[in-house]
Amino acid sequence: MMTRIWSNPEFVRHRRAELRPVRAVTVGVVVLVMCVLLGMACWSFQHQILTSIRNGAEYFKTDAWTQRLAEAEQNFAQKTWLLFYKWLIGLQGAALTFWTLFSCAQSVSGERDRKTWDFQRVTRLTPSEIMIGKLLGEPVLVYFAVLCAVPVTLIAGLAGGLSLGTVLSVFAFLGLTSLFLGLGGMWLSTLLESRTRAVGLIGALAFYGLTLGARGMENSGLPGFAALSPLTARFAFIEPGGFGHSLRPVLFGREIPWLLMCFLLCGSFSVWLALMLVRNLKRDYQEIRPLSRWQAVGCAAFLNFLIYALLRPSPAFGQSWNVDAPPGLFTDAKIVAAFAVAMNGLILFLMGLATLTPQERLKVWRRKRTTGEAAVFADDGLPWPWLGMSAIVAYVLMVWGLLAWNHTLPLGMGTLQTAAVQLLLVLVFVTRDVLFLQWCMLTRLRQPVVKGVLYLGLYYAAAAVLAGIGSVSSEATGHWVLALLTPVQAFDSHVNGLSFPTATYVGLALQTGVIGVVLTAISSRLQRPMRAAAAA
Amino acid sequence: MIELVHLRKEYDNLLAVHDLDLTIPQGEIYGLIGPNGAGKTTTIRMTCGLLAPTMGRALVAGVDVAQEPEKAQQHIGYLSDFFAVYEDLKVWEYLDYFAHAYKMPEADIPARLTEVIAQVNLEVKRDAMIRGLSRGMKQRLGIARAIIHRPKVLLLDEPASGLDPKARLELRNLLLSLRDQGATILISSHILTELEGFCTSIGIMEKGRMVRSGRIDEVTAAENPARLVRLAWSGDSLAGDSLKTVQEQLSREPRISQVKLIGAGGAFQFAGPEEDLAPILAGLISNGVKVTAFGEVKQTVEELYMKLSTHEVM
Repeated sequence: MMTRIWSNPEFVRHRRAELRPVRAVTVGVVVLVMCVLLGMACWSFQHQILTSIRNGAEYFKTDAWTQRLAEAEQNFAQKTWLLFYKWLIGLQGAALTFWTLFSCAQSVSGERDRKTWDFQRVTRLTPSEIMIGKLLGEPVLVYFAVLCAVPVTLIAGLAGGLSLGTVLSVFAFLGLTSLFLGLGGMWLSTLLESRTRAVGLIGALAFYGLTLGARGMENSGLPGFAALSPLTARFAFIEPGGFGHSLRPVLFGREIPWLLMCFLLCGSFSVWLALMLVRNLKRDYQEIRPLSRWQAVGCAAFLNFLIYALLRPSPAFGQSWNVDAPPGLFTDAKIVAAFAVAMNGLILFLMGLATLTPQERLKVWRRKRTTGEAAVFADDGLPWPWLGMSAIVAYVLMVWGLLAWNHTLPLGMGTLQTAAVQLLLVLVFVTRDVLFLQWCMLTRLRQPVVKGVLYLGLYYAAAAVLAGIGSVSSEATGHWVLALLTPVQAFDSHVNGLSFPTATYVGLALQTGVIGVVLTAISSRLQRPMRAAAAA
Repeated sequence: MIELVHLRKEYDNLLAVHDLDLTIPQGEIYGLIGPNGAGKTTTIRMTCGLLAPTMGRALVAGVDVAQEPEKAQQHIGYLSDFFAVYEDLKVWEYLDYFAHAYKMPEADIPARLTEVIAQVNLEVKRDAMIRGLSRGMKQRLGIARAIIHRPKVLLLDEPASGLDPKARLELRNLLLSLRDQGATILISSHILTELEGFCTSIGIMEKGRMVRSGRIDEVTAAENPARLVRLAWSGDSLAGDSLKTVQEQLSREPRISQVKLIGAGGAFQFAGPEEDLAPILAGLISNGVKVTAFGEVKQTVEELYMKLSTHEVM
């Protein structure tokens, strides 16, 4: 396996280009010099602290100061090493994750830009070989730099009083998050044509920010998601409990180590990203479709499953296993259900985006459909049947999840009925939006999906403004406007069972009608006659 | 060797390639000609697996390119008009990368690198960084990349664009030597003189359709049932007498038509086999005409294209 990776042509190409002997030696020397400088800075900092304690002890001459001085002198070396280690691992983590993400985020779009991509696509390299080669090859320089610093970091960590397990766990954690970030960056890169590379870099920056920000999830009802953040490595292993009260991740209600959670989350998300890359790397840009329809349903199910598997409820009465936990998001089943429905809005929309059919394939599907050769559920058909299927799977998982947590968060009779209507409403709105994007893809818009999403954003902003204007005359008018144009009213916490306001059901009917209109528009687009290419 | 079956490509409501059927046997150099936007590049990109056809199949060496792309790529060498190379590699590293990417046997690679580098005359640049090469050298390196794995089929999309006349001649010789080694070559161009003289077959594409396809002599013969023959005679003899003699001589032959004679030369159409021209020449000479030139005027690819293109477009 290692031999195959080492001899992967794409990896070898990067290794040769990036690590020529002169450059490798330079990088090694620079890393070593930086380590020495950093070590001296840490020693100087600790020495200043020791000097000030020494001065205090000489000035006050109390037993407490004398004891403090003795402790400081005794721990001087260990504290200096620990500080040195923290700086080293912090810098390595930042360089590793940032560089991996950004170099991979330019890997495919950069090749398209240089017009070398087609020649790689026509070789016998399989998509997985290209993916592995780029993942390991693009950031090879930073891997080398980190490798140069590893021995020093190991020594600093061990001399700083950390166990070998902790030091290795931090490396493993950073490695896993870098893998996830690298694959995410590469996927972003495949979605971009050469002319939109700058957009890709902004996207990569946003992705990095989101991943770092995932650390904030540590104090939420889903603390496990903090394992996606590289920052968690430092705070979970080196300074546990150092930054206020934080929750440990749980899987099905059982606490598990951060490293295991990182392995499970980064690993599983990386597998999905790898699947999307392997499906699409050798495809033409116009043919890219992240997932097949069944894979999209599977992905929706997986994401729903994660919600219930990583859930850490905070019961309002505190009689359960976690009485010391800070108040979290999920204090009853109704909130969990509403959260799951809201998340499914996002999940279904993303699934819809992932399964938009390219115009050419949709046309072929329609022709076959006319002659009875293709089914509604075909892989090249419209995405709406699959959105419906994903919603059904999500609802089934919700029932399972809420029943599984029934012992901690008692399930009320009306909760599942309310959630069903909420989910139906979300499904209708998402279906409308996804079909609108599908229609955009049949027009001559450049970057139709991006523009379609911007139009949708404009629509929801306009709906909010209209609701605001409506609420000036009466609050009920504002609610009616919101209910007709957005799914927001479905999340009214006062509703129990099926007793939604009339406006909600009217909005449901209205949007179903809009879906019909969009489907007709799509159909008429697909029926346009073909014309031959004009000779120059 | 190359078989395209009902190959079709649609963009939006535009039919770029319209149900194309084409078979190119082994050892052919097939020139695909047509104006910009005729569908040549789309056809080549579908044949090498870069574009998925809307409908139909492309088979190379019996392998369906869409179904088994990696297996098909083994037999395909591809070169496009605008391309770049990895500037941060050395010449031999670049070719070594592609030799491994095409999964050539490890033991064969060093010898093959040497052989290919010699074929494209880049021996002195073997260890040079690519960023220091001239455009023509990079183009030659691109050709070396396309043939590194000894492909049975070469797909060349406007390969000579940007090459100087000497390099074009070298490219032509290289392609001919590859053809002699059994390679099948599909080459597209809208510069018709580029294809003149070394293509064995041609296909003319217009608006995504194949207007004509076949061996050059067959296509020419189909378009021109009569041969155009030019002749000239020496001005030493009395021009008037010779002109009269020639006119009389030619008018006796029923397969000759459209005789146009001016001064000491002219042309006529002859609807017969090439060997039947010899008695006509002998007759002229025996009648005292001092013939200085006599021969069939072969139609150039350009003339043929213009003629056929006129039928379809103008």
